[in-house]
Amino acid sequence: MNDTIIKDTLKVASETITKSIDSESNDHINWWLWIAIIEFVLIVFLVIKQKIKPNNTLKQKFKKESLEQEIDFNNIINSSFNSKQLYDELKVKCHPDLFPNDIEKNLLAENLFQEITENQNNAKRLIELKEVVKQKLNINPKLATGFL
Amino acid sequence: MLDNLWNDVVEWFSDRSERARLVRSFNESAKKYFVSGIAPTLLKASISRGESSYKHQFSNWLNSGFRIQAFAGRVLTKQELMRIGKVILDDSVLVRRLIVLGWDTLEVHGDSGQYGCRWQLKDYIPLPKLNQNE
Repeated sequence: MNDTIIKDTLKVASETITKSIDSESNDHINWWLWIAIIEFVLIVFLVIKQKIKPNNTLKQKFKKESLEQEIDFNNIINSSFNSKQLYDELKVKCHPDLFPNDIEKNLLAENLFQEITENQNNAKRLIELKEVVKQKLNINPKLATGFL
Repeated sequence: MLDNLWNDVVEWFSDRSERARLVRSFNESAKKYFVSGIAPTLLKASISRGESSYKHQFSNWLNSGFRIQAFAGRVLTKQELMRIGKVILDDSVLVRRLIVLGWDTLEVHGDSGQYGCRWQLKDYIPLPKLNQNE
């Protein structure tokens, strides 16, 4: 009885192995491999297409130009807290009315005053303008403050 | 159709990365200036929901607000909030960048108090008319 069971078991096992070997050798097409290859080719195609795609539309041009420009965050943070003080100081120092008799200086002060007003929220530019005011209008800050 | 979809996906990832980079740069500068004592208040930028009526052609579908929170430890006055907002709005390069990255609302508020200020970004920069060439 036991011999029969053992024989049968061995027979079934050998049949299974034979079947599986046969099925492997007959089924040549590995579908998963082909799907993976097609996906890979598709991805490569789309990546290349993206790379060589010209940025022609107005929207893309506008976006590209905007992203190329540098932003000075340090100046923005600095301006948020310190530009008002600088602006208040400069607008008093270089007001055109301070030079009623000197036409040249009056004109220069007027231009500088205009630029100071335009850049009242830009601390970096105001610091540059402060130097220009000192040099061109020959204003000593302490004297000017005292005078006013 | 597939082409458009692919472009949208690539653009979305690229914009998302740029947005995160911008917020990170802002926060790093704010922290640096606060630690060095140049700025008396710590500013922190984040992304908020935004105002749906401020939409423009570059607007994000969701989260189109650029929020700046000022950690002053007190209720900030309207003038103080306006000042921070005006500095940002006067920087045309930053406003352009915010717009193209999908933000349409600028919000400034303090860490305490219930009020804040809000601006519509498209009011501060001329946007191209895209209907003809889009």
